[in-house]
Amino acid sequence: MLKMTHLSKVYRTEVVETYALRDFNIDVKEGEFVAVTGPSGSGKTTFLTIAGLLETFTGGEYMLDGVDVSGLNDNARSKIRNEKIGFIFQAFNLIPDLNVFDNVEVPLRYRGMKAAERKQRIMDALERVGLASRLKHYPAELSGGQQQRVAIARALAGSPRLLLADEPTGNLDTQMARGVMELLEDIHREGATIVMVTHDPELAARAQRNVHIIDGQEVDIAEEPRFQAEQAASSHG
Amino acid sequence: MQIKPILSALRHHKAGTILIAVQIALTLAIVCNALFIIQQRVTQLSRSSGVDEAHLIRIQNQWVGTDDKDIGPLMKADLDTLRRLPGVVDAYATNTTPLSNGGWSTGMSLKPGSKGERTMTAIYFADNHTLNTLGLKLVAGRNFHASEVAPHMPHDTLQPPQVIVTKALADKLFPGGQAVGKSVYLGDKPSIIVGVVARLQVPWVGGWASNWEGQSTLVPRQLMMGGANFVVRVKDGQLGKIERAAPAALLASDRMRVIADDHGVMTFTQMRQDVYKRDRGMAILMGVICLVLLGITAAGIVGLTSFWVGQRRKQIGVRRALGATRHDILSYFLTENLLIGVTGVVMGVLLAMGMNQWLMQAFEMQRISWLWVAGGVIVLLLLGQAAVLAPAMRASRVPPVVATRTV
Amino acid sequence: MLAYYLRLGVRSLRRNPMLTLLMVLAIGFGVAASMTTYAVFRAVSGNPIPDKSAKLFKPQIDNWGHANGRTSDDPPDAMDYTDAMALMKTGKATRQTVSYPVGLSVIPANPKAKPFNVTGYATYADFFPMFEVPFQYGGAWPASDDTQHAPVAVISEKVNQRLFGGGNSVGRSIDIEGHRYRIAGVTRTWNPQPRFFDVNNTGGFAPDPPEIWIPFTRAVDLQIPTWGNNNCNGNVSPGWKGWLYSECVWLSYWVELPDAAAAARYKNYLHAYAAQQQQAGRFDWPPNVRLHNVTEWLADQHVVPQESQVSLFVALGFLVVCLVNTIGLLLAKFMRRAPEIGVRRALGASRGEVYRQFLAEAAMVGVAGGVLGLLLTAGGVLGIGMVFDPDIARLARVDVTLVALTLLVAVFATVIAAFYPTWRAARVQPAWQLKSN
Repeated sequence: MLKMTHLSKVYRTEVVETYALRDFNIDVKEGEFVAVTGPSGSGKTTFLTIAGLLETFTGGEYMLDGVDVSGLNDNARSKIRNEKIGFIFQAFNLIPDLNVFDNVEVPLRYRGMKAAERKQRIMDALERVGLASRLKHYPAELSGGQQQRVAIARALAGSPRLLLADEPTGNLDTQMARGVMELLEDIHREGATIVMVTHDPELAARAQRNVHIIDGQEVDIAEEPRFQAEQAASSHG
Repeated sequence: MQIKPILSALRHHKAGTILIAVQIALTLAIVCNALFIIQQRVTQLSRSSGVDEAHLIRIQNQWVGTDDKDIGPLMKADLDTLRRLPGVVDAYATNTTPLSNGGWSTGMSLKPGSKGERTMTAIYFADNHTLNTLGLKLVAGRNFHASEVAPHMPHDTLQPPQVIVTKALADKLFPGGQAVGKSVYLGDKPSIIVGVVARLQVPWVGGWASNWEGQSTLVPRQLMMGGANFVVRVKDGQLGKIERAAPAALLASDRMRVIADDHGVMTFTQMRQDVYKRDRGMAILMGVICLVLLGITAAGIVGLTSFWVGQRRKQIGVRRALGATRHDILSYFLTENLLIGVTGVVMGVLLAMGMNQWLMQAFEMQRISWLWVAGGVIVLLLLGQAAVLAPAMRASRVPPVVATRTV
Repeated sequence: MLAYYLRLGVRSLRRNPMLTLLMVLAIGFGVAASMTTYAVFRAVSGNPIPDKSAKLFKPQIDNWGHANGRTSDDPPDAMDYTDAMALMKTGKATRQTVSYPVGLSVIPANPKAKPFNVTGYATYADFFPMFEVPFQYGGAWPASDDTQHAPVAVISEKVNQRLFGGGNSVGRSIDIEGHRYRIAGVTRTWNPQPRFFDVNNTGGFAPDPPEIWIPFTRAVDLQIPTWGNNNCNGNVSPGWKGWLYSECVWLSYWVELPDAAAAARYKNYLHAYAAQQQQAGRFDWPPNVRLHNVTEWLADQHVVPQESQVSLFVALGFLVVCLVNTIGLLLAKFMRRAPEIGVRRALGASRGEVYRQFLAEAAMVGVAGGVLGLLLTAGGVLGIGMVFDPDIARLARVDVTLVALTLLVAVFATVIAAFYPTWRAARVQPAWQLKSN
């Protein structure tokens, strides 16, 4: 589904070259729930922006759903983002001017869908996150947890092949965070491929598999954090 | 207030800075030139004609079915009628008057015929009542005698033995010298200057006559043409009455004449309004454009500064948290605006001069004076400061606690 | 999708009503100022006789030279009697006419009615077909009336109304200054602007249509003076004859020529004529002639008033300032929404979609500005009378073209102004959202 080999990303300024990612490898299979973890500044977010085709990379290869994306132009990349990828951001990133219905509609609009189908999908997605009754509300009128649910509904509405989540619970309190996490797990169980970036080991533990990044390189410590995480999870529940 | 940090902050929103500076520059260039045009027009508007405008009426009369050579007695009878009207001070007949924008001009020379340098002058047909009617002041010499006034047929050569000239013309012909008693030439025969009047404007109010607008000549001749202008001077408060009574009296004395309903009878006040209509209108138009332009520029500054303040709320909060006073924040934005304003006016001054240069070439305007440009610079800088005041006050009221919030 | 963008635009514009109002006002005023002055400019610079302006020519012959200290190299703008009669006699053009303005008193048959003044032209029969004068009754007098110095007249609809109640008066007679004239035709109201055939007396604009035409030959016989300008250079012998055969210029001479080749031939003829005058000793300077068609003549005489030109340029500058202002405000407005743009880009909006969304929003500002501009233009056109002479002001009017042009200019200008802010908006990186956390 998502395969990066020897991927690198270099930021150049007038004085220095900074490697955000260096010889980075990852292979996410269809239907997997992978957590990408690492300390602040390790390159997690850079990985996600490249995975989500929000940024280009400097070297290596990236195959998304069997397509080599390195040579694609801006329009083609927009199209893939729109049709194959769903984003969930830490800061929700709902558009404040639009109500819940209109926010969920945004990606569907860019797909040129007919109004009836758009409505059906929006309603299904909002039903799925339990907010079907809040269609006319504006983001400012919702709690943080509700906002993130709307964002998830927006990501789901287009039935993407891949969900990318960036610290999805980072701006939420524990209780709301748990609800959102359960929702993601439900979605995974229904067959979605999810890649989640987090620095929270507890959250990472709930994924099937962890990839750890330090200084822009993946470190294979898959078993150990999993063990710790399971402990943490069990102590929770 | 330190300028360096402001400059480096401005570098971060280059586009907005440049747009405001360009807008200030364009506004300065247009406003300077427009104000200058206004000033020129107003100077024209306020030029005196030299006659007692408040008490004067002009009647355009056309005798019907009369040969030019039979006009003499008709004119004499009409003048008698007018002078006898109660409320009338005096009256005379002429070809044209100041503020009418139409008349005769000719070259006057100190040598006979076409030899010698010619000085432009307007020709006013006049008689011994003219000075009294128009209220002209003699500064030297004497008025015409009744015996000197003679008829003049339309296509005769005009070379009267006596003339009265304006001081402006006398000074031009005889710089520093006595003009009374000297000879001048309209044709081959000499005319003696018998009197000099203080001022009498030529009939044209702008354009081609502007270089010699005070150079007029009175000739003691009555023009024997079907159409004549009667000028009537009235006593205080009689203007409205005579305006109706004079044409009525003329028609009563002889029906075979035409005095047009619309412009046949006009006061000099109306004539002044009509003749300067373009100048006044142009001044008003330019004034309106200046005001709206300044308003729009101010609004643009308010809009963009408000945006910057909104964008930098957090930064302002941080500054406040670090100990900046409200006054510091206020003066930050005022200084920022002043820097942009100075850049704008420097460009604007160059642009204004360029525009003026072009107007001079294309429309024969004069060179703009530095005073106008300097005035424009001050107005625009003050306008910028005034416009930035409201958003800057709002910025200064941002509480320091904003620094701790994630926006 | 357009409807979606328009809906988004309305929402966004309503979010900052002050900013939106500022932009609409700026564009409205800018467009109105330009359009109002353009309305005047269009009125004064129009082609008065579009289908024939390239076939009607104004010959000029320099009969003054540099005599009496004259410095200009251009021939006088009018013609003297001697040259006009010489050209008329040879009749080299398809049609030709000489005319000068006259002011005449008409004495009504009814003794109770007051005599009244009419203005018009003393001219030749060719005047009417050359300048396409429209007739209500009758037509031009025959050319034989010119040679016979006949007492005939053509009168306007208005004079016909006053004298004959508007009926067909062809063949009836009127009393002009004590002489009887037979009416040959009644014109419809005809007042081409600029009055190209009489620029030297009107400056191009005359408020009232001409009301009467009489044969030139007859007018000269009756020694009817010109109602217009008479410019003399050098001495004039006394009396009518002395003046007639002087070098005073007071006549408008016009010819109709079918094509450029004919015009070239005619110019050669003028040149030859002037050369002949030089040989005869009348001109002591080489031939100096001109042959302008209508549009060239109007340009040569600077018929478009300076006021109108200056204010057109000032208004254009005004529009530019308003646009710079709009660029700034749109930039502020669009960049404030950088987060939204980032999200939309992340959710799959291409750059093109961002362009379309923001240009649609700008276009709405343009439409609103255009509507405001239209109202202000209508007000402005009404107010033109304050600045320009009534005879010019009355020409400027709001019509379909002006309305369409105003809206078009407003929308086009706003969209042009929006390009830079939109370009900046489209350059917002989608990754920006993630990085800013």
